[in-house]
Formats: sequence, structure tokens, C-alpha cells
Amino acid sequence: MQKLLTILAFYKPFVIWSFLVNIAITIVNPFIVPAIITKLMLTIFVWYFVNETNTRRKLIFYNNLGISSIKLFSVMFFIDIFITIGYLILIKEYI
Amino acid sequence: MILEIDNVELYFKNKTILNGIYLKAETGKVTGILGSNGCGKSCLLQIIFGSLKPKYKLVRIDSSPVLKPLYQTNIVKYLPQHALIPKNISLKHVFKFYEVDWIEFVEIFEEFYNYKTYKSTQLSGGQLRLIETYIVLKSPSKIVLLDEPFSHLAPLHIEKISAIIEEEKTQKAIIITDHYYRNIIDSSDDIYLLKNGATKLIENILELEDYKYLNVGSLT
Repeated sequence: MQKLLTILAFYKPFVIWSFLVNIAITIVNPFIVPAIITKLMLTIFVWYFVNETNTRRKLIFYNNLGISSIKLFSVMFFIDIFITIGYLILIKEYI
Repeated sequence: MILEIDNVELYFKNKTILNGIYLKAETGKVTGILGSNGCGKSCLLQIIFGSLKPKYKLVRIDSSPVLKPLYQTNIVKYLPQHALIPKNISLKHVFKFYEVDWIEFVEIFEEFYNYKTYKSTQLSGGQLRLIETYIVLKSPSKIVLLDEPFSHLAPLHIEKISAIIEEEKTQKAIIITDHYYRNIIDSSDDIYLLKNGATKLIENILELEDYKYLNVGSLT
């Protein structure tokens, strides 16, 4: 539970960006599968960017708690997908 | 518990950084690493922690090889040279995530009494370093790696942190490196000198002058 809370704290700064991507998905192609693929691509891009730059140093805070970068980004992806699917189901009721 | 690392080979491009390392740390002892700038002290700590992958390494705990990064075993805490605490997390949450008691902290460092909801961006460099060093030392673990814990700290805080290191070493193996060599010498039970990519266990403190880490007469 403590680890999940820590991963949620890591996810927090990405929430606003994720929401902006959700709006773009709603405008372009508001379906669940393309949304999942888009979010997966973006998560892989951010993970690659963090691992290949000095930003990687910021992960030590999480590594200290036994959370590897792959676990951090995987759990973040699933949390984000859960929110995205909820958002798309809700928004389709109004389209 | 005994932690050993050897067979380390680390290269950056074609330059050899580490080659000929042996280091042993055990519960109840503080192991100090001294060495000049750029000799690979921080790299060695990162290799032990598992965040830097060298060409070869062998980490053993109680003589058993550890094949995955040590941090994934959840028995190690590492204080890096750079900032540790993310900018968006309040101290209240940092202490909660690291399972460290805030009340106990403010009993020792009273000046932080009102800082519980502060984020790292609202603290000075010294205040942040103090908190980071404290949480890494106090968080439940068996091994603690400290990279320059005394940097930016006021003399009074250095004394308090040294006392906490002394207290925590009864349950943990602590590896420490810093340029404040007097603090390292005072705090450490064993000292290794890192020079030319290899470690040398220092039996007599005057050897630090012989190996030209210190000027002759520095210790007298």
C-alpha cells in the first residue's frame, strides 16, 4: 500500500499532461484501444527519456523504497489507463 | 550481516575508472571511503546500490552472491551526492514513505518544527541535505550508503548526524564517503582509500599521507 502511494506521488505531476492527452484523444479518436496504444507509446517515451538522461537520478528516491524504474512506469501506466478508460466511458455518454 | 564487493570493472568510453576493488562492510561498523575528486567513490556507491551497471561486479551478502540490483532486495538505502527528495512531495509524505518518525526528528532538530508541510523547494540546500541524510539513516534497512552526507551542513548538525550514524551502526552496515576527511576518520571503524581505480584498506591513518591523499603533517 505504501509503495502504491509512493507511485501515486510519482504520477501526480503527470496528471495534468495525461488529461491534456485525453482531451486530444477525445477530439481525434475517442475509442479505448487507440487511447491505450497512445498512452503506452507515451509511457515508453517518458521511461526511455528518463533512463537515458540525468533525470534518472530522480528515481533513486523510489529505488530506495525497492521500486525499480520498470515497476514505477508499469504501475503508473496502469493507473493512467484506468483513469483514461473511465474518462472515455464517461465522455461518450455526452458525445 | 557482511556486505562484500569485488571484481569491479568500470569503464567510461575507454577510460578505466574502477579496476581492483575489494570492500567489506558489516553490521556494527562504519566503513569510510576516501579518495581524491573523480577517483570513482560515487560510482562505487552507485554500483553497490545497483543504479550503475559496470562491466563486471560481484556483490555478496553473507558470502552469497546478489545477482539482481541490491536496491531491489529492499535492504539498502542510498544518499546520493545530488538532491534525493522530489520537488513535488511534502516532508510529511517523505517521512511517511521512508517510515521515519517526524516527532523524533523535530525533537533532535527543533528548528524544523513547523516544516512538516513544506516541500523541498522551500528549504535551503543545507536544510534539505540534513533531512535527506536523516531519512536515509533512520529508514528501516540493513545497509546504508552515504555519499557526502556532511556537505552543506552546519558544524552543529554535523555533530548530530555523526551521533546518529554512531547510533544506527549498531543495527546497520554503513558505508560513507566525503571530502571532510576528518569527519570520515572520526566516524569510521574501517577506512579504504580509493586510488588509481583500486581500494586499499588503511591500517594506520598516517598511510593517507604516504599514499599522498593528504599532505605530510595534515594529521598532526
